[in-house]
Amino acid sequence: MTARNAESWRTLPEVPETHVVSGAVYTDPAIFADEKKRVFERCWHLACHESELANPFDFRTFDYVGTPLIAIRGRDGVIRTFMNVCSHRGAKIIHEPAGNAERLTCFYHLWSYDDRGACVDIPRPEAYQSAGLSKDDCGLFEVRTETYLGLVFINLDDQASPVTEYIGEALEPFEASLGSGELEVFHYNRSILHANWKAWQETNLDLYHEWMHVLLRRTQMTAASMDSRVVKAFKHGHTMGSGLKAAYDKYKGMASRDSEMALPGLAPDDFFFVDLWPNAALLARGTAIRIDVVTPIDEKTMLVEWRGLGRKGDSPEVRRTRMKHHNQYWGPLGRNVPEDAFAAEACEAGFRNGAAVYQVLAREENGKGQDDGMMRAWYAEWARRMERSPADPQRSAAAK
Amino acid sequence: MSSDQAIREVVYRTCTALDAEDFDAFMALCAPDLDYRVTAFSPEIRKEMTWLDQDYDGMRALLDMVPQHLKRLGTLKRHVSIYFVEDDARAKTAAITSSFIVTHTDPEGRSQLFVAGTYFDEVDYSGDRPLLKKRKAHLETRDLGIGSHIPI
Repeated sequence: MTARNAESWRTLPEVPETHVVSGAVYTDPAIFADEKKRVFERCWHLACHESELANPFDFRTFDYVGTPLIAIRGRDGVIRTFMNVCSHRGAKIIHEPAGNAERLTCFYHLWSYDDRGACVDIPRPEAYQSAGLSKDDCGLFEVRTETYLGLVFINLDDQASPVTEYIGEALEPFEASLGSGELEVFHYNRSILHANWKAWQETNLDLYHEWMHVLLRRTQMTAASMDSRVVKAFKHGHTMGSGLKAAYDKYKGMASRDSEMALPGLAPDDFFFVDLWPNAALLARGTAIRIDVVTPIDEKTMLVEWRGLGRKGDSPEVRRTRMKHHNQYWGPLGRNVPEDAFAAEACEAGFRNGAAVYQVLAREENGKGQDDGMMRAWYAEWARRMERSPADPQRSAAAK
Repeated sequence: MSSDQAIREVVYRTCTALDAEDFDAFMALCAPDLDYRVTAFSPEIRKEMTWLDQDYDGMRALLDMVPQHLKRLGTLKRHVSIYFVEDDARAKTAAITSSFIVTHTDPEGRSQLFVAGTYFDEVDYSGDRPLLKKRKAHLETRDLGIGSHIPI
């Protein structure tokens, strides 16, 4: 074996086309522009959990691929989402990340909207009469919003099929827990990471990188047989990794988790995860659930949001322990997630200026062990939506 | 050294020890009943969060494992300003409130602000020397980039 020269470095390995992804998918601004149109303006996006909008008039604001949005629970209990932009002069209306308000009032000229998005007040409206404008013409732009298993999804495509049809059976492993109605968000943090958004999603698709995490080498890789794992792909590119277990007491300073604290439908040593296409991941570790959502800012910058879910009504002592369980692994000072973030930015450093040319997704273990099947399934859906081959996305698009 | 100075030095020395990643020196400043937490308030979910929560043994184990982890490159440097010291002479403890910032310097020598926050410390001086019994490091900064394996 020898090191390679420039020509051989740039030559794709002789593996199936589905087992290679070109670095251009991370770096090409034209591909990113295409992703915004074909992926982010078409697919269901996990905006928040219903517990963040527990009461009538509770709201959450967020930006989604540059569009300011506000989700609000109406007086009728229904969660709706609107563009958080005033119909008058286009100003962003609500700036707080969360709150409660019966009226959404723009700071600029005090135009006000209600929980259904109707414009309900315009100061001195008579001055618009001669121009024929009334508040009835000035409601907010409503964005498709559907709630499933307590998860609030939005879609910028008014013609999209219902979220239940989009997700299909992919979230069945979470039906007992998320569907119980007993969970609430107790952790939220967000980071801007300097890498293409797919580099984060890949850390949730790639089982092989367990080797990177001393925590997982100790607690997970030997806690159950590699043959007990199941890597599965669903329609629309969703994927699941299941059959893993965790022996928490194998890592110095951690203890086994109490079965009484396990969430509905989960065993305390369970670990499984579902990745929803394109940009969300739900992970269950017995006593806590983690939800990741990654949103691109540009082709080399992303926002990652992490949520931790526990049981409503936890006593302070139980909540303290549950929070500790969650953050030992998944918090910003935890032993796991910071390493994934390091990896995402390291891949950016490799691909950004063309040093790395492609990545290899060629592990085949019949859907067991550390099979790359989840990564390949993700990119198969990407290929379908983008009408490009991930192995050669620029040439395959130009050829059309 | 006055007892007040010795109490204040516990705060400073915990920071210099963590800066140097001299975890033995850090633990030597901690009381056996240590309660160390790093917290932040999320305006998104309108809840207080605890991102790190360790007693003495837990902190020792966590720090022992740090060298084995893939962690952020570069160095962290803590700058602390002690605002208030409230002495409880009967209990022989002192409650200390300090403002802190932590900067990160990457391997190429570029420095940036990493986090800002407030230490709410309790120092126990009932023994031979003052020791950190309790710390709540409350962060104003909530975007920690790729995060950190070392306590703030």
